[in-house]
Amino acid sequence: MTALLESLSNELAAAVETAGRAVVAIHARRRIPASGVSWRPGVIVATNHTIRRDDNITVTLPDGTSAPATLAGRDPSTDLAVLKLPGQSLASASLRRDGPPRVGEFVIALGRPGARLTASWGIVSGVAGAWRTWQGGEIDSLLRLDLSIYDGFSGGPLIDAAGRVLGINTSGLARGAPVTIPVTTVDRTVAELLERGSIRRAYLGIGTQPVRVPQSLARRLELTNAVGLLIASVEPGGPADRDGVLLGDVLLELDGAEVSDPTDLLAKLGGDRVGRTVAARVIRGGQVKTLQVTPGERPEPRAA
Amino acid sequence: MTAPTTSGLAAELAKVVDELRGVTVQVWTGAPGTGGAASGAGVLWDPQGSSGRGLVITNAHVVRGAQATVGLGDGAVLPARVVARDRKRDLAALELESSPAMFAQLREAPLQVGELVIAVGHPGGLVGVAALGIVHVVEGGRDDRRPRWIRADLRLAPGFSGGPLADMSGKVVGINAMVHGSLALAVPVTTVESWLRRAQAPAA
Repeated sequence: MTALLESLSNELAAAVETAGRAVVAIHARRRIPASGVSWRPGVIVATNHTIRRDDNITVTLPDGTSAPATLAGRDPSTDLAVLKLPGQSLASASLRRDGPPRVGEFVIALGRPGARLTASWGIVSGVAGAWRTWQGGEIDSLLRLDLSIYDGFSGGPLIDAAGRVLGINTSGLARGAPVTIPVTTVDRTVAELLERGSIRRAYLGIGTQPVRVPQSLARRLELTNAVGLLIASVEPGGPADRDGVLLGDVLLELDGAEVSDPTDLLAKLGGDRVGRTVAARVIRGGQVKTLQVTPGERPEPRAA
Repeated sequence: MTAPTTSGLAAELAKVVDELRGVTVQVWTGAPGTGGAASGAGVLWDPQGSSGRGLVITNAHVVRGAQATVGLGDGAVLPARVVARDRKRDLAALELESSPAMFAQLREAPLQVGELVIAVGHPGGLVGVAALGIVHVVEGGRDDRRPRWIRADLRLAPGFSGGPLADMSGKVVGINAMVHGSLALAVPVTTVESWLRRAQAPAA
């Protein structure tokens, strides 16, 4: 008898079946559809990069029927999009909110790239702290997975062995590698997208690159951090341009925090910074100078 | 730390693999004596009392010509005759002079997405290698047509072809036939059985 093995197998199949009742197919691009999760009644979470049009979006439900959905908002920085699907009796996902999973936990990625539910399994191979996508999105924890994902899996859930959702999978944030956006990040983004239709982010309108300040200059200026951000481009008429930031300035600090990497800058440009004047310390002409800059609201990037 | 569930699972898994190895054969194309690594695997199939001969199911792409050689788990190497072949379904039936003591238990009940499946084969010259995965998708359904393939999220290599895909009670659910990315494609046992009934196989 192989009672344990058969129970494990049955439990995995049951977890897939239960969680699969909240997984839908999203038709918003050519070729194969992508996946989405019924997050709460009437609200579907999907991935931004698989929604290539704003209108004429249809959803295939687990029972095989189709229904039109409307786009409530999208956030390229976390690759999430929210759809509204009113008037359907669709099960909502059971969400696991007790923090990130443990390394070694069994996990299953679900997708519905069409009428049928598909699954792949593996384990959590790594868990790390918060990270920032290169588009500036804040993801609460980094989950690395040892599992294969297949075409159309983006927007589908990562579930644990009890069928509870740990996050939304996407291949759109790390050059095709699977990334799971944790439940807390999805919750926050869904709330803001439902309220505003987009994620508010501050911006300065500059392009930067890290540079090492020559040792002699660093010593003379008594700098604690020898790496700064060279302003390599300034958007004409943008917030930084208006506030007198010049091409060739080397940015050392913004709002009291040292910046030595473009991601440090992004970390200082959350939605709450829009319109708030902050101090920027720069090296200009061999001298340290403090400018007052006021970040504006980043214009909505067009969906790729 | 003790881990009774995990140890129990490991022991049961080993038992399932052991049973499957007993019904998984090596298959060489051509008459005995050609040597080298097997060209694939095969499954000892119930010959249903036909004249005391043995029956092996494998993939059509594993055997060329009318002659084949079968290596049993106990080391015996037997000549075999290709009695039926279907390239479209990628199936072949081999007849052995005598019937080995055992044959595979079959499961014809439908699979569920997410259930565990195990494959046994002979990749890279190794005999009786196992791989574990889950059922990726269950096709068929509304139109009631039989699915052409079982798709499993399971990493196979060349050499698994023709071998069994089985569930966690050790019952064979399909014959591994193809690798598609990291998916394994297997011919369902129901397809094998209906094909065997139609083909002029000794089991018919």
